[in-house]
Amino acid sequence: MHDFQVWLVTTIYKHSPVADLMRTAWAWPIAESLHFLGLCLLVGAIGTFDLRLLGIARKVPIVAVHRFIPWGLAGFAINILTGTLFIFTEPDQYIYNPSFHFKLLFMTIGGLNAATFYLTSYRRIFGPNAPLDAPKRAKVIAAISLCAWIGVITGGRLLTFYRPAPCDGRQTSLLLACQP
Amino acid sequence: MFAFPGILVLHAIGMGFAVGVSAALDLRILGVAARIPLAEMRRFLPFLWAGFWLNAASGVLLLIGYPTKALTNPVFYLKLTLIAVAMVLLLRISRSAFAAEGITATPDRDLPPRLRTLAIASLVCWAGAITAGRLLAYTYTRLTQLH
Repeated sequence: MHDFQVWLVTTIYKHSPVADLMRTAWAWPIAESLHFLGLCLLVGAIGTFDLRLLGIARKVPIVAVHRFIPWGLAGFAINILTGTLFIFTEPDQYIYNPSFHFKLLFMTIGGLNAATFYLTSYRRIFGPNAPLDAPKRAKVIAAISLCAWIGVITGGRLLTFYRPAPCDGRQTSLLLACQP
Repeated sequence: MFAFPGILVLHAIGMGFAVGVSAALDLRILGVAARIPLAEMRRFLPFLWAGFWLNAASGVLLLIGYPTKALTNPVFYLKLTLIAVAMVLLLRISRSAFAAEGITATPDRDLPPRLRTLAIASLVCWAGAITAGRLLAYTYTRLTQLH
């Protein structure tokens, strides 16, 4: 994994098409603002749906609240795009950053958790005779979703406090968390 | 120094819930998820308020941490103004959208057209407040009171 991280950082530095653009005075702050807006869309849409599964606004059919989800995915897409711009500009600040590793971990949990929801609960919740109260399994998934996205925000917000320090590149941890 | 990053994290999470739920309400008024009875959206509002008060509190702590940095920056006052306008808009939206108890199934075509304008203004204000907040990190001229 360490070799892969070093290769990734080197390759991005050599070929990044956006680094020059992102280093102009306004590009980075604008991309950051968009990243925060995407965050709000994601939490507003996916969080609202999770809360509905957990029993908030229980008179409203779950399928009706699910209509917010595309807006959450739009927020997620904005953040993948702007996030990629950041990584393509300062790859070492992310690839070697333990806070970013945790952010990716929470994103993966959120993604697999959402996949689990659609694989296991979709039919029961959205089919005919759909219950107004979500099954227990869906509630657990909703709670995990809220925690995962809060974890993603936490990992993202703490990035600047875990900037990788220089090291000799011979760490024993799974992922390199310093700058070789 | 553990406290400062922790407060920033809370400020970001609070933003997600305050702006996120407010945006969901605005989108609902604008026709997204139209099968949710508009008045039922009020059930999500406690999470908006929780996010708002979390951010009011964490914001005051951040201000205490670096008072000069914020108070000498005009962008900070712009951010506060935009948040104040967004909250006034929220109250007006709430009064209009949730007022009539019992008519939870009012068809959207019967909503006052003014409500759509308020919803769009709310989205614009939040986007502006977030942008102003983010720009605070780039536009300050003094970090502390040293001359």
